[in-house]
Amino acid sequence: MIAATELRLVLVTPETTLLDERVRSLQFPMYDGQIGVLPGRAPLVGRLGIGALKVETSAGGTDRYFIDGGFVQIKGSIVTLLTDRAIPEKQIDTAQAKSALAAALAEVPTSEEGLQAKERAVERARRMAGM
Amino acid sequence: MASARELVKRRKSIRNIRKITRTMELIATARFKKAMDRASEAAAYTKKINEIVADLAAADLKFSHPLLQQPAEEKNVAILVLTSNRGLCGGYNGGILRPTLRRLRQLESDGKNVSLEVSGKRGIAFMKFEGVPIDRSYTQFEDKPAFDDVNEIASRYVADFIAGRLDRVDVAYQEFLSSSKQAPTIQTLLPIGDLAGSGGADEASNGASIDYEFLPSAEEILEELVPAAFKARFFKTFLDAAVGEQIARMVAMKSATENADEMIRDISMEYNRARQTQITSELAEIIGGAAALE
Repeated sequence: MIAATELRLVLVTPETTLLDERVRSLQFPMYDGQIGVLPGRAPLVGRLGIGALKVETSAGGTDRYFIDGGFVQIKGSIVTLLTDRAIPEKQIDTAQAKSALAAALAEVPTSEEGLQAKERAVERARRMAGM
Repeated sequence: MASARELVKRRKSIRNIRKITRTMELIATARFKKAMDRASEAAAYTKKINEIVADLAAADLKFSHPLLQQPAEEKNVAILVLTSNRGLCGGYNGGILRPTLRRLRQLESDGKNVSLEVSGKRGIAFMKFEGVPIDRSYTQFEDKPAFDDVNEIASRYVADFIAGRLDRVDVAYQEFLSSSKQAPTIQTLLPIGDLAGSGGADEASNGASIDYEFLPSAEEILEELVPAAFKARFFKTFLDAAVGEQIARMVAMKSATENADEMIRDISMEYNRARQTQITSELAEIIGGAAALE
């Protein structure tokens, strides 16, 4: 068998298919840390974290997106990312993310669920601001 | 027979109405195409979710999740009704509201705690007229429902269901079957009856099974996947409703335009006759007058 030399990235949100293109490699956050995918990766199903998706396109450039949780499926040469929200780097409003972070930090949760929601909101805003 | 002048007036007003209905038809057609595109784009997500569900099923995993379990006692039921904000769309709203009202009455007679949530001004007005109290209402969903807005409602349902404050969630909407057929449906979305159901999963599973690496474990992925599957389905009902509304308006306005055309034809004919009669009677008068002078 010839070694795989390319990957196809499909980035899907509930509203639309944002990306469907050939890429050289990509990096994205899993639930517990970064993962890098090169052609020939073994099949995988996993949970995504919150953070930056870095794509090295076949033209040689790099693209960055903010992704907000979801799932990944790697099957053959196709990498499918399912995420609730994916925002191209250019469209991210850093100032707004910072104010969202401040708002999330200022919140005082009174229950266990509230605490979890706060942690998620803080993490999301922090990652977005840090893009 | 009405006078010629009156008929001209009527014909003019019908022409104006025709202009409006014709424009509305064109707008609805354009919006329908957009809504349809959105709905078909969104289908990719649902399909992928089903594929992952099938992948997990192939890993000999037993599906158990609070959202899948039928509560021991069904007491608190939420019904969400999706109607349109605007009228002039034929039987679209009536088609949903009639079966919904029947369902509400039935649930009430069964002694359940029903919380009614209505999206769309038409539905809100209808419930107000019927004197049915509404627990929550939404008017922000037009022809382009955004996932973030829908997600907010879905997350609340998921939290309430898991906490046991809700035992069932029904959504009443016009299901999109094809571009010429929509049917009012009341669908139970929670508990999720069959996770792999509603197509997609079967075709994905018949291929050679792939030995996946699960990160973290299959169980933990499932824990996140079930709510995601519910949200995708929930979002689909909103998209279907948006498409259905535009189709209904398109059809209603098309027949309204055709009716106006027919009326204009009829009135034109009547007007011509009236005009002819007028001329004839005037001529008769002149001739009669001339004859009297001789």
